[in-house]
Amino acid sequence: MSAAPALSGRRQFWALLRKDVVSELRTKEMLISMFLFSMLAMVVFHYAFTATGDIDLSPFTGGMLWAVFVFASLLGLNRSFVHEKDEGCLDGLLLCPVDRVTIFFAKMTGNLIFLGLIQLLAVPVFTVFFVTSGYWADLSTFVAVLVLADIGICVLGTLLATIAMSTRARDLLLPIVFLPLIVPLLIAATAATTEVFSGDVTWATLWGKLAFLLGYDAVFLVAAWGTYDFAIGE
Amino acid sequence: MSVEDGVKYVAAAYAIILAVLVAYSVWSARRVSALEREARLLSTEVERRAKA
Amino acid sequence: MSAESINEAGATPTTRGKTGWRRLVDVPVLFVAAGVSLVTGLLLVFWVAPEEATMGFPYKILYFHAPIAWCALLGYLVAFVAAILYLRSNDARWDRLGMCGVRLGLVFSLLVMATGMIWGRSSWNVWWSWEPRLTTFLIACLMYCGYFVLRATVEEEERRATFAALFAVIAFINVPITFLSTRVLPGDMQHPSGVVEGGGLVGWMYPAFFVSMVGMTLLFFALLRNDLRVERLKEELAYIKNRLGS
Repeated sequence: MSAAPALSGRRQFWALLRKDVVSELRTKEMLISMFLFSMLAMVVFHYAFTATGDIDLSPFTGGMLWAVFVFASLLGLNRSFVHEKDEGCLDGLLLCPVDRVTIFFAKMTGNLIFLGLIQLLAVPVFTVFFVTSGYWADLSTFVAVLVLADIGICVLGTLLATIAMSTRARDLLLPIVFLPLIVPLLIAATAATTEVFSGDVTWATLWGKLAFLLGYDAVFLVAAWGTYDFAIGE
Repeated sequence: MSVEDGVKYVAAAYAIILAVLVAYSVWSARRVSALEREARLLSTEVERRAKA
Repeated sequence: MSAESINEAGATPTTRGKTGWRRLVDVPVLFVAAGVSLVTGLLLVFWVAPEEATMGFPYKILYFHAPIAWCALLGYLVAFVAAILYLRSNDARWDRLGMCGVRLGLVFSLLVMATGMIWGRSSWNVWWSWEPRLTTFLIACLMYCGYFVLRATVEEEERRATFAALFAVIAFINVPITFLSTRVLPGDMQHPSGVVEGGGLVGWMYPAFFVSMVGMTLLFFALLRNDLRVERLKEELAYIKNRLGS
């Protein structure tokens, strides 16, 4: 009896991605938690900043937005590996003839989709709460910023979550290793987002920030590609 | 800013540098001698067991 | 395992058994050379180098602040290279080198921030400014503290070394990225930036800088070799105790 032909890398990727997305959509635990967390964080920010009376929060909107999503994504990243590890699914996966990097891309894309779904709901709420000027004119730019920053968060986050899940203190470790590394992205995304929300976008200043985000994503994507075998290997 | 203040800051900076580097060097050297002492003890133990 | 081999296992403080250039770079020699160089540097800084035009006497802090910063980055660089070598060879020696590199990098980074803060206080009357250099070192400190937290949470040796190596690689890549982001990006607030503003080096400042740089680098390598020896001794002792106990 001949063995069944191995799935090509691309089909493996889609299979893995579908597995993650479908299993999450079934329970929606992670999505709901991330969304609720985002809402609560926004409330906290409002009260944190308006202690001395109502102030104009427009200079802070970029920062608040990305603080909310960086912390929310930490929740999601931890969870994305927890049941794999606990249910032994990961061991099963590693036994299959699947390229480790394919696993990385599937996981990363899954995280990206989940983060994107959260943002689809949370960002409009955020703008209703905090953004006073119209940014509709720059909507495509804003989406570009969101996408680029999300990719960076998910690339680095997936890589680090892979490492963290094999340690003793995974919930504690991931924030400690993730947050310092995400600071440059945070700086760039915050600057770009604040500019978009201020309603006054000058391409001259913005393109540099977008280029930085793109570069950051590229660098860590390559780094993850090169090192993922070590991160996930047994 | 007065000259005395300037001198105080410089003195503070160099004092900290000296303190930290000396402390670290001393700590490191003491670790080495402690470990070497343990190595000597173990080697006599090994000799003892080899003879026995 | 013979008695001699235990004693030879890096435990000799003398140059017994070493020849040629290795004798020259043995630890006590390095320490002495570093000491001489640093003392000479200090003399040059305070007796020979002219006072800087715009910033006055506190500028003298920078003669050691800059070499310390360089040594901190050197530590992280050593860890980066050691990490890559470990990932390729799985040899535990590279893991030890990496750990010592990070540790020294952290110690020197803390010193950089301390002296940087004193310098900042003396020049701009603030203890902390979010200027690129200081911020980058802060982030680096936080990252590399995470390195040790990571090591502490993995029990199995080989996996610990692998993860630590991975992290050292990623963290080092992030250092220039962080510097770039803090320098280029934040928009309007112009924070006072560092050394370059002062008008640059003049005349007799050069030897003072140079000698301090050399001295600090020698001290770095002396400490690195010492730390390496400590780690190696620890591992071998643990191994021996294991064997003796069984």
